[in-house]
Parts: sequence; structure tokens; C-alpha cells
Amino acid sequence: MNCEVKVKDRIGTINPIFTCQPAGAQYASIGIKDCIGIVHGGQGCVMFVRLLISQHLKESFEIASSSVHEDGAVFGALDRVETAVEVLLSRYPHVKVVPIISTCSTEVIGDDIDGLITKLEEGLLAEKFADREVHLLPIHTPSFVGSMVSGYDVAVRDFVKKFAKKGAPTGKINLITGWVNPGDVKELKHLLKEMDIDATVLFEIESFDSPIMPDGKAVSHGSTTIEDLQATGSAIHTFAPNRYEGGKAAQLLEKKFKIPSTVGPTPIGIRNTDALLKKLSQVTGKPIPVSLVRERGIAIDAITDVAHMFLADKKVAIYGNPDLAIGLAEFCLDLEMKPQLLLLGDDNASYVNDPRIKALQDNVDYPMEIVTNADFWDLEDRLKNKGLELDLILGHSKGRFISIDYNIPMVRVGFPTYDRAGMFRNPVVGYGGATWLAEQMANALFNDMEVKKNKEWLLNVW
Amino acid sequence: MAKSKEKNVARANYPKLYDHDPLADVEPELRARISEMETYIMKNCLWQFNSRGWDRRKQNAGILGKTAQLLVGEVVDNPTPLDKCHWVDAVLLARNFKERCLWLADLGADEIRSIIEKLHARIDWLTIDGSLNEELTVQNY
Amino acid sequence: MPYHEFEVSKCIPERKMHAVVKGPGEDLTHALPKGYLNTIPGTISERGCAYCGAKHVIGTPMKDVIHLSHGPVGCTYDTWQTKRYISDNNNFQLKYTFASDVKEKHIVFGAEKLLKQNILEAFDAFPDIKRMTIYQTCATALIGDDMSAIAEEVMAERPEVDIFVCNSPGFGGPSQSGGHHKINIAWLNQKVGTVEPDITSDYVINYVGEYNIQGDQEVMLDFFRRMGIQVLSTFTGNSTYDSLRSMHRAHLNVLECARSAEYLCDELRVRYGIPRLDIDGFGHKALGDSLRKIGLFFGIEDRAEAIIAEETARWKPELDWYKERLQGKKVCLWPGGSKLWHWAHAIQEEMGVKVVSVYTKFGHQGDMEKGVSRCGEGALAIDDPNELENQEAMLTLKPDVIFTGKRPGEVAKKMRVPYLNAHAYHNGPYKGFEGWVRFARDIYNAVYSPMHQLSAIDISKDDYETGKGFVTRRMLSDAGLPEEAKASPLTGYTGKFDPIPDLRQKTYPAFERRVAPAVAE
Repeated sequence: MNCEVKVKDRIGTINPIFTCQPAGAQYASIGIKDCIGIVHGGQGCVMFVRLLISQHLKESFEIASSSVHEDGAVFGALDRVETAVEVLLSRYPHVKVVPIISTCSTEVIGDDIDGLITKLEEGLLAEKFADREVHLLPIHTPSFVGSMVSGYDVAVRDFVKKFAKKGAPTGKINLITGWVNPGDVKELKHLLKEMDIDATVLFEIESFDSPIMPDGKAVSHGSTTIEDLQATGSAIHTFAPNRYEGGKAAQLLEKKFKIPSTVGPTPIGIRNTDALLKKLSQVTGKPIPVSLVRERGIAIDAITDVAHMFLADKKVAIYGNPDLAIGLAEFCLDLEMKPQLLLLGDDNASYVNDPRIKALQDNVDYPMEIVTNADFWDLEDRLKNKGLELDLILGHSKGRFISIDYNIPMVRVGFPTYDRAGMFRNPVVGYGGATWLAEQMANALFNDMEVKKNKEWLLNVW
Repeated sequence: MAKSKEKNVARANYPKLYDHDPLADVEPELRARISEMETYIMKNCLWQFNSRGWDRRKQNAGILGKTAQLLVGEVVDNPTPLDKCHWVDAVLLARNFKERCLWLADLGADEIRSIIEKLHARIDWLTIDGSLNEELTVQNY
Repeated sequence: MPYHEFEVSKCIPERKMHAVVKGPGEDLTHALPKGYLNTIPGTISERGCAYCGAKHVIGTPMKDVIHLSHGPVGCTYDTWQTKRYISDNNNFQLKYTFASDVKEKHIVFGAEKLLKQNILEAFDAFPDIKRMTIYQTCATALIGDDMSAIAEEVMAERPEVDIFVCNSPGFGGPSQSGGHHKINIAWLNQKVGTVEPDITSDYVINYVGEYNIQGDQEVMLDFFRRMGIQVLSTFTGNSTYDSLRSMHRAHLNVLECARSAEYLCDELRVRYGIPRLDIDGFGHKALGDSLRKIGLFFGIEDRAEAIIAEETARWKPELDWYKERLQGKKVCLWPGGSKLWHWAHAIQEEMGVKVVSVYTKFGHQGDMEKGVSRCGEGALAIDDPNELENQEAMLTLKPDVIFTGKRPGEVAKKMRVPYLNAHAYHNGPYKGFEGWVRFARDIYNAVYSPMHQLSAIDISKDDYETGKGFVTRRMLSDAGLPEEAKASPLTGYTGKFDPIPDLRQKTYPAFERRVAPAVAE
């Protein structure tokens, strides 16, 4: 077999590719309108995640902390959550949804946030906020389990579990996008619009990309409403194209509300976008319109300009959230490139059973490595000590120094991409995303040829 | 209970000198002169803001004591590195006072000593005895 | 100086004690904000945790060290690559971070074995690095791992390595300041005095509380070297681990950020009799006076004066160019801790701006004493600020610019207030005579950005006169200036994009020793 899947062979982490579960729950929470989460733990668990999100999106989002200090860590800190809920609701009159997101410390001390929520619902909410719509929900995201990816998955499921209701059939589909960018949501909604399909999108985060308005009053926020979340229980079908970032919610809807679901594939590249559209068409009975045939053609036209002349046989390493990394690898193969190394986040044992991974193992005709629970040292060590040669790196900004120190061009994709301007605005999914990705990769290689004076004259004519 | 006891222990390191502003009754012209000096210190210096009360007492006494000596032309003795460190802050302070407070030139040595003594009392009041900083009495650094 | 009550905080009355406005004729004994108290949960405070205060702020700037956090991976990831403390060894400490990657099974069965394996693995991956710091996190503090015992074990097995252990879990204190304190004391107790330095000068200092943000430390070291002073160690920016073990041999501790490192200086004063001299590296007068004092201490004031004269002649005119154009601009000075007092007076005096508010995220009352003293009357001082209070303050104070962190800066952006990064700087370094001009330049560029001017315009309204193809900063900043100022040939900043590489190339004159070096016995 050419393609090997292995777990990182070291016990520790040198330069982590992913962060821990609460970060995923926090990123999910900001997608909901009138929602401010309370992270139950030390203050850093919030402060740094807010910073990370603001670095990526160049916007600020509100997430609160229960600010657990020493005494709370010793004697239990549920009183901190109680205060936090009361203070938050008192000062933010618009807030309707308050997830209580646990962390490693409060899971270790065993704070019963579920029990507390019942107590608060019967006490504080009934007494002090009786005339207000407020929903509290627990989200258990101990940091020593999974990663930000599973934290996101758990949070989406818990939001859906809290709100989904069986109502009159809406005829809508659910689209659970996974951990994506505003640009991706825009692209996905565009595809749905062209297909004339009505969908509930989790989460509506196009509004993360927000303006400065002359009155100085604009704020960035997610736009998924409580009604949207409730409506997920009455949909005809759930699409969760990112298996590990929404798959759990799709499962829940299937089990509890008998809503059939399609989980995966990540719609990166022409082929996976085709698959999504075909399935959408099948489920809704709506035909794929000529406009999308044309759009697809424009993408293929653009990609043809760069693929077999420039991208073919280029060796690439890809890291990041598993759905993204796998989707990118698949697309790279369609572009005639040669992914050498896939670094997938966390220790999720089920990655090896992912049909896409199986397909890679069955069909890749050159040596390729897939490492799970990976860190950046898995990449750097191979470059530094084991003779790995690369033409390109695909991944997020935390790997920037590998690109810089080993002189390998890099296209920023995923989360976070703080060291390049405006990346969150562009899609990687859909036909638009395919074009953008292929052209970004080509331009990165062009720039590299010029910087290194490596056939830099080639582009004199093109 | 335990906390206030600790405070008392810490307090023992630097007995309280003033229970009200020691310059409250100073006549306005003199008060204005001291204010000039006080303002300079509070805007430009950091030595008066060590974190603990007992250190502030030493800093204020050391630096303002040497400042007075310098202003009246006495030879300043610096037997230890800590003295020397007080002295360098005093030198800068004395220079700036001379430059900014031109009226100093008209005063005799006793008057200068007296005015710096009042300034010292005032700085002690602001930074120690009248200070609202609750950490001054913390026992450890 | 009455306490200030925010409309948005009326429902949490204890907040009232955390903000004051300095009134006419009032002083520190009238009111001082409460400080360094437990955060009120749910306020959306800006504070971080004690782990980050220890590891991220103070530990990691040490440049030749494996910085390993013992816990789940998040603490490490989240605090990695969010600061700009550079070093002259190719930024090893910025590039590499290590997590023991604690999982559920370790929480149940203990993670000491995991830690040991991690330590060995990390040293094996970087065979040239022989020094390590290990930081506790919330999870490993709660399960009670004995990190020191593991470190001792490894040091016994590998005598060539040295390991420092810092027990400062995230919950250890109201803010990151708890971690500053813990790592100060831990370093002092574990490491100071364990290496004997090579003394090469009659004048030996430690430079304490300086983290080399965008090269600040290297700028200051340049001055010290020009004076013939040996800087034994810098705590901790751009410093080696072993140099910090020899701190006990300095003649003087020069303290910059008292907030994060005064504990160490105070203890060194008590234990080793090394005096503590507080200085300001920001602002021409304050920096000049600081160099003078260090010169005086060693009897080499002339060397300081020579530097001050040269640097002032070079940079003061450019600073004045900005001062003329920034006159009266209102500033919210909202940093983390020490900069509220480092900058408050100096920017008003030397750049002409007016500080309308100071705040401190993690400072103590001592920081507020300095900050409030150095502000003018009417300035709003806030301890442990939160999101809504900041917005209310910006709406009422209407600042022209705000100096704060990245994320609060995004809030300000939406409110149409230009922001400069007070922690990591925009285009620093800001220390030194030249750096101070760079700071003024960045303020000017923010305040007079043509884009900022455009952001105020509502294109749907009728009163917007188009017709200009562009506007320059000069057109905006010089509109109200007298003719002679406009006609002056002086300009703003003329230095390089990055002044640090030149400093690294520099050689320094050898000064003759006054005292013959003691012969080793």
C-alpha cells in the first residue's frame, strides 16, 4: 500500500495544529444571534479564544467567562456560573441564548452545570427574568478530550438538541456547514439559491464580515436565530458536508426526528461540489440549473489554465481540520498534484475508517503519509531530518514559520489565517472555492519562482 | 480576622506617622511652592511607588533626605549601594527642582530643609499614610 | 476624585469602586480604584489567566529554552504566536512551543509519566537546546502532578540539562498578574544564584521587566553598551536561561515593567542587597533621566550625556513635528498594566495629546496610583474594564485614538475610533529616542488616516461634497496650522522600517576597566 495512515509516533506535542474543545464550542456559539456563551473555567480559556477569533476575522465577538479563581478550583465554582448568568442577562437585555461551556478545570472538579441550569431555570429565570425569553444549555467540552473540531461538533449537536422541534413540515433542508468562513457560507448559499432550494443554514455567519458604518454602531454577529434552530426539527433532509463538524447534529436529527441525512463529502473541488449538488437535486427534486453548469464550466476553464501546466506533480503537504485537509487532498489529486503528507487533528480513532481515507489508500499511486493526532513537528521533522521535499503547503497561519524557514510557498486555508489579509472572505467550497484555491496555489508558486529565480522567465509569456 | 492581624504585623514595619494631611494648615504661598515640587515628583518619578509601605517609607526618607542635603550643598555620604541608588534619584530631583523652582535660590539652608521636610511629610501622606492602596500592608513581595 | 458609575454597570454596584475621575485639586488619598480583586463573572472582562501571565508573558521571551506546558493542548496553542517578543537567535522561542498533551486517561491515572516522556522527547527533538521551562496548567494542578519531582529525575539522568518548574495554573489569581508573581518568586527561589557569571565590566546591571517587544530590549541594550555597562541579564526579553541564573551578581537592578517584575527586584534587594532603580524607557525626558541615573550610579554620567545629546539632536525635531500636529488629540490609554503610567505623562508632554482615560486589565492599585498621578484632571481611570463599560466610555469621551489590545481594538474600529496595539505595538520598537518618534508616527498615521475621515461620511446624505480624488494626511493634519509651521522644512519620521538588524551588527568601544578584574582563586 502506498498510502499509510499512522498516529503520531511521539507522545507530546511540538507546535500544535489544533486547540482544545472549548474553542470549538465558542466558535459555534458566536454563529447564533442574541447568544453570548459563558465559558466555565479560567479566564484564559475565553480571552485567548476571543483573541484568536478576532485575529482571524479582524472583528470582535462577545463571549463571557465564569472567571474561576483559586477558591472556585478548590471548593467548586458553580456559584461563579450563577453570578455570571445573572450579570450577563442583566447587562445584555437582548441576549436570549446562553450556553454554559465547560473546560478541563471545571470538568475535573466535577461542577454539575446541568443541575445548575435546572436550578437557574426554576429560580433566577422564573423570578428575575420571567418576562424574558432566555435559554440556558450545557455544553460539555473538557479540553482533554478530542480537539476544537470535536468541540464544535458537540456544540452544534447540543444547540440542535436544545432547540429542534417537530413542527409542520417546512420543506426546507438543513445545511450544517461545519467550521467554515463567511466566504464559504456565502458560496454555499449561492449554490442553494441557484438551485432554488430553501435551507436552514447552521450557522449564518456571513454577517461576521461586517462594515464600519458612519454612525459607528455596526457590530459583528452571527445571524442564526432560535427559530432557525427550532426549524431544524421539521426539515426534509440534513446535509452535513463536514463529517466531523456537524455530523453529530445530523445524527441526532435523524434519530430523534427521523430526518434523513447526508454526511460528507466536504464540497471542496469540482467533484465534491458536483456530489453535493447531485444529492441536493435528488433530495429536493429540483434540477441543477444551466447557471450552475455554466459556473462549473468557468471554474474548470480557470483551473485548466493552471492545472496541467503548473500544478501537475507539485508536492504538497496539507494540515488542519480533518474535513478540510481531506477535501483539499482530494481536490489536489484532481489537479494532478501529489499530496505527500496529510496532518489531521486530534486522536479521533474513526479517521481511519473515513471512506475518503480508505479511497486514498486504495488508489494513490505514490508514497503518501497520513498522520492523525498530528502536530507541526510531524511536518518539520520530515523536512529537516527525513528528506521530505515539498513545493507547497496548504494550511492555517500557525504553521507559517515552516513555510518561512524552509522556503516553501504556502497558501493559507482553514482557521486561523491571521497572517494574510481577508482570507476569511474567500470560499474554499463550491465551484467558486475551487477556482479560488487553484489560482491561489498557482500564484503562490509563481511568486516563489520569482523570489527564488527558479524559471522566473517562464511567465514572460503565458 | 486573620487578615487584619497580618496587616498589623506588616504595619509594625512602618509605624503610621500621619493620620491626616500634614500640610492641611500650611499657609497658601508655602503650600503652592510645595505643590510645585509634589507635582513634579508625582508626574515624573517612580521611586515613591515601591509596592510595600515599609519600602516606601525608606525610599521617601532616603531620596528626599539626600535631596535636601544636595540642595543645601552638604556632602552626601553613600556608604552602601542602596544609599547610592537613593542618591542618584536625589541628584536628578535636586537638579529639576533648581531648574523649575526658581524661588529656591532665594532661600537659606534652614528654609530649604524645612520645606523639603514638609514635602517629605506630604509625599509620605500621599503614598503611605493616606494611601488607599490596600496592598501596602501585604506581608510578602 | 469621585468614583465613577457606569450606566451599564448599575446592576453590579461593586463595579463603582473600580473607576474614578480625578477631579480638580484631588489627589490619591481621595479615591483610588479598587484593583487586583476577583473578577465579577459574566462581565466580559478582558483579563487573562495566571498560566498565561507566567508562561506567555514572562517565561517565553527567554530565547534558548524549550517551553513546555503540562496540560491539554489548548493552553499551549492559544498562547502561541500571539506576541511579538523577538530574539537575536532566529526567534526560537516564538517558533517552538511544547505541550504534554494531557488526555482523559491521564486525568484519571495521573500524567507524571507522560510528562517525563515529553521532556525527554522534546530534548531529543532539539539536541542543541539544553534548557527547559515547564508550566503547570489548570488540569494538571487539579490532578496534583508533582512536576518538580519529574524535573529532578530528568536532571539527575541528564546532567547537561537544566529545568525550571513553574506552578501557576490558570485559576491562580484574579488575572495574569497572579502568574507574573508566581514565576518571579519561583525563578528567584529555584534558579538565581546557580550560575556564576563572567564579569567583564566595572558596571554590571540586570535589566528587569523588559520583554523585547519588537526589539525594545535591543534598543535599550545599545545605550547600555555605549556606556560600557555589562547587562548581565534581561528579565526576560531576548535573554538566555543561564544569564538569568546569575542575576545575583549585578550591581544594580534597572526595573522597567514594575508590574510584572518588581517582586524579583524587591527580593534581590533584600537577599543580595542589589538596589532597585525604576526607569522609563519611553519618552525623551524620562529615558534621558533614566540613562543619567544609571550613569550617575556608576560615576559615568558623561557617557550618558553624550548619548542623550546625540540622540536628542537626531530625533527631537521629528518628534516635535508630530507634537505640533497631535496637539490636543484625545487618547484612551488602555493597556494591560505598566504602560498606563509609562506613557500617560510622557505622551502628553512630548506629543501634545491629552489622555482622557486610562485603564488596566491586570494591574494593581499601585499601577493606578502611578497612572492617576501622571494623568491630568478629569481623566477616567478604570480597573478591570469590561466590554460595555469601554463602549460607554468611548461614546462619552469621544477619543481620537485608543491604545489597547488587538481584540478591544476591533471594538473601537467599529465605533470609528482608530486603534494602536499597546501590547505588541503597530510598527515598533517604541522604546528609545527613535522608537518614541515611531510611536508618534503611528499615532499620527492612525489619527489622520484619510480612510478614517471617509468612514464618517454617510454617502446617502446630501451634504457630502465629492470632487477630491484623494486626500493626504498632511492636508488633514496641517489644515489648522500656522503658515510658518506648514512651510517648515522639518518632516516626520525618517528612520528605517526595522532598526533592529543594524543594532545587531554594531560593535562597541572597549572601555578601560577602573578596577582590575579579580583573579580567579
